Parts: sequence; C-alpha cells; structure tokens
Amino acid sequence: MATRTIDPPVDFAELVREAQVHGSVYRDPDIFRQELENIWYKVWVYIGHESEVPNPGDFVRRQIGLQPVIMVRGNDDVVRVFYNRCRHRGNMLCLADKGTTKKFVCSYHAWSYANTGEMLEPTFDEGYDYDLPKEDFALTPVARQESYRGLVFASVAEEGQTLTEHLGAVTEFLDLFIDLSPDGEIALDAGVQKVRYKGNWKYMPENSMEGDYHGPFIHKIAFELFARRSGLSVSSLHEEEVPDVIRSLPGGHMVEDYRGAPLTPSTREPSPARKEYAAQIKAKHGEEKGTQMLGTMAPLLYVFPNLIYIMTHLRVVQPVSAGETHTYYYPVRLEGAPDEINEARLRDHEFMFGAAGFVSPDDVEIMERNQIGMQATGDDWLFIGRGLHRERDMPDGGRSGFTMDETHLRGFWRHYVQLMNGNA
Amino acid sequence: MTPEQFLYHEARLMDEMRYDEWFALWLDTGTYWVPVNPDDSDPRRQVSIIYDDYLRLEQRVDRLKSGSVLAVEEQRGAMRRVVSNVEVGAEVDGIVHVEANFILGIARTHEQQIWMGRSLYDLRPEGEGFRIAAKKVLLINGRREIPLLQFLI
Repeated sequence: MATRTIDPPVDFAELVREAQVHGSVYRDPDIFRQELENIWYKVWVYIGHESEVPNPGDFVRRQIGLQPVIMVRGNDDVVRVFYNRCRHRGNMLCLADKGTTKKFVCSYHAWSYANTGEMLEPTFDEGYDYDLPKEDFALTPVARQESYRGLVFASVAEEGQTLTEHLGAVTEFLDLFIDLSPDGEIALDAGVQKVRYKGNWKYMPENSMEGDYHGPFIHKIAFELFARRSGLSVSSLHEEEVPDVIRSLPGGHMVEDYRGAPLTPSTREPSPARKEYAAQIKAKHGEEKGTQMLGTMAPLLYVFPNLIYIMTHLRVVQPVSAGETHTYYYPVRLEGAPDEINEARLRDHEFMFGAAGFVSPDDVEIMERNQIGMQATGDDWLFIGRGLHRERDMPDGGRSGFTMDETHLRGFWRHYVQLMNGNA
Repeated sequence: MTPEQFLYHEARLMDEMRYDEWFALWLDTGTYWVPVNPDDSDPRRQVSIIYDDYLRLEQRVDRLKSGSVLAVEEQRGAMRRVVSNVEVGAEVDGIVHVEANFILGIARTHEQQIWMGRSLYDLRPEGEGFRIAAKKVLLINGRREIPLLQFLI
C-alpha cells in the first residue's frame, strides 16, 4: 500500500483541475515523497537499453526513483536489474557508472556476488555457527522486469500492469523512431551527457513535448542557426498551426506527432551517405512509408514517467528532490546506417542538446526560473488551457490538439491524479 | 608574448565575454573540444559536451552574442578564472603544445558555481602572439551531472 505522508490525505483532484495545476505539486517535499510511493515505486520505469550491456559482465548503474539499481548482463547472457545494495549490511555494492565484471565485491566486508546475482562467498564465515545458506543472500532482483525492442523497464512493485499494458499506444511511436535504423535496431553506445537543474522533474516532460509554443521565444537564435546550416526551416511550423500534432495517450504518455507537418525539403544535394540511407529506408519500408519517414520528423515522445525521445537521443528524467532533477541524454545510434549518418547525428545532437548545446539549455534555464516563480504563492494556479475547446478524442483513447496546444499536459495531469489518488 | 601571456589574454576575453576578439584567436582549421570523459578518444563515435569545428564555433559565438540566450547576459561581469600550472612543450612542426589548469568562478543570479579543469592547446606562433589550432578542455566534472555551460571555457 502507498504510504500516505500528508496529513490529512490530499485529494489530488483538488490540486489539478481540467486546465489548472496547483503550484504545490512542483514545490512540496511531502508531495514529492508521495510521488515516489505512488508513481516511481509503482509504475514501470525505464532503466536502460540492452545495447548498453552488450557482453557478459557488462553493467550500468541506474536509479528507480531514489533507489539505486544496477542493470547487468550475466555470464548466462541474461540481462537483469538488481538493487544496488549488499545483502550483508546494505552498503551500495557498485560505485562505477558502468563497467564489466565477473563479480561484484562489496567494499565494506568483501561479500561477493556473481554477475548473475548469486552470492559467491561471505568472508570469514567460520564465525557463523551454521553454514550461511548462500541462496538466501543472492542479490535482490527488482520485482518485475520486461523489455520492449531492447528498452529495459523495471518496476519495484510486485503487482501491477504488464509492460504491454503500461506502454499501450505508445509502442507505435517507439517503433517509429527505432525503425529509423535500417536494421530495426538502435544502440546506446555513444556515451551520455548529464545535466542537473534546480527544478522539479515534471518540468522536463512538460517542456520537452511542447517546443512549438515556447520555441519562437526561447529558441529563436538556435532555429536561425539551424536554418542557416541545414537549409531546412523550422519556422514554418509556427506560421500555421496543424491539428493532431500534440497528443496525449492513455497512461500519461505524450507525443508530438509531426507526420502531418512535413519539413520544407532542403534545397541542397544530399551526400552519398544520405542517398544510401534513404535507399535503405525505402527498401525496408517501401516507397510511400519510407518517403514519409525521411521527409518528416519521427514523433517526439514521452513515456511516463521518465523516458523521452527527441530527434537524436533518448533522455532520462531522474528526480532528486522536489526542487532538483538530473537529466541524462543518450544519443541513439542507428544500427546499419552509414557511419557518416550516425556521426552527423552526433554532431546534430551536440548542436541542440546537453549542457553546452544551442537549444535545450534555454529550456533548462526556464525550468530553474520556473521553480523560483513557484515560490510565489499569492495565486498558486498554473494555467494549461490552450486549445481546450478544440481538442478531440482519438481512437487510441488519447486526445489530440493543434501544434501549440496544451492537450498533452492535460493528459499527463489527468493520469497523475489517478496515480496519486491510488486509482490507477 | 609568451604562451603564458597568451593564455591570460584568452582567459580575460572569455571572462569579459569579448566573443569576437576571442574568435579571432582561432585558426580556421581549429577544433574546440570538451569531451565528457577525459579519456574519450573518438568524437566520431562518442558524444561530447562540445565538439566544434570552425563553422560550429562561429555559430556558438554568434549565439552567445545574440543577446537572446537566456543564461548569458546575467553572467556579464560575473565570471573570473585563474589559469595556472602552465606547461609549455617544445615547438614541433610549427605548433607549440601548452597545457594549463583553470579555476572559473561564476556568480549566477540563483547559483554561484565553480568550474575546474585542464586545458590542452595547440598554438601556432604568429607575429607577436599565437593562434589556436586546437583546444581541448578536460573538466573534472564532465562525466557528472553538470549545470548549464553557456559561456566560453
């Protein structure tokens, strides 16, 4: 059962109205603790991609909410997610961000564990008056673990939706960006940029899925530089709003779907590698779908609660406290694409993202100012009403709005209330 | 001008946000590289914090001086760095390799920050001074969660 840390219990339906959100959900440490229990320790959380641990013994250190975990590929080639905690007296077992090892040895009393989780040996165990049953001291696996096309998710809750139920309609959109790979496989093997900001975690998904409303204001110079460099213009997106771009999906997921808003084609002659890549995509997906995939941006998406896909990368949102968040930017390599394409994607990524990029830092700066603004409580309501009158129900159970509408935010918050009230 | 004096001059230009003068220090074949990990060796396969060729560097400067980058203007007059532990190599094929440590303090509106690292330069002697052929900055915290880096480093 969820731990109620607020007394008296809060009805979150009173903090989130149809088009208004109360500032306390970004600010209140008690609400943050309740989010850990009712969201982060209940639903499926993205851990990492199997390509990050390609060989037996490879591991990465991650978190679910505030709980430390490791994702490791055992010598039996199975990828598992364990709590990063020694079974002896609870020391964090693995300090390295990533690495390769046959065994994990605790730094405190040197209890050791195989990369499959079995306990290898306690130390000085003659001091116990019985043989320690090693099987009782294996690393603790996170309660549930499933993957979708290499994306590994885990949940610390013993019971709940299956991953398929959790992802629901969002799998169609996951497929769209994974299929940008001519082999239908992505790899997260180009490293990671890590950024911290002094603001609530929920700003990141909210801001990441609405580049078009704030874009002309905070990304103006970056868009101009992009147009100068690439010959592509993104400003056309703002000249006429397009319906069904901004989408909410059941389960709190959000999508920016630009398939109905093709980019103005570049006037420049494509490089041989671009031509090769285009031929690969058309060969795999056919002329019609291939042309659409090449001529539009794959939909940007947010998988509740911590995974974001935008253009070049997967982004992971990691809450620290009500007022601090870590963000991880993992560039996506397209297996099978020409090296030149993947290298160009890395350079495009650095152009836009990370601490020194030309786009996302302006977003992060806003998130920090947002957190400061949220300390002013005279009228403590945020307004998310844009497009309320014109949003429409979609066959997938979600709703859609025009390019700059806030339909997606309203969907996110509806789901948030369900989870926080324990109804989902 | 000694290599040390050149580094002090460059530091002043960065601290005082004199972007055009700083950009003029560069050769048009220059690369400006801030890797995530100090031992990252292949920027074609590994993401960097910054990996600018000359064209990208010009865009970086154009953006920083545009006046429309949120994090920039409040840093004016609020940055100073110390350059120290300078080590100057021998000139090889017209290039002098120079390394130095730095400590940079920034007083932002809602946070004061310290940045530290080691900068590796390839400098080409020219006239009384030098031009930058390559600069690689090894941050001590590049592989950790860092705040925004919206300044010259």
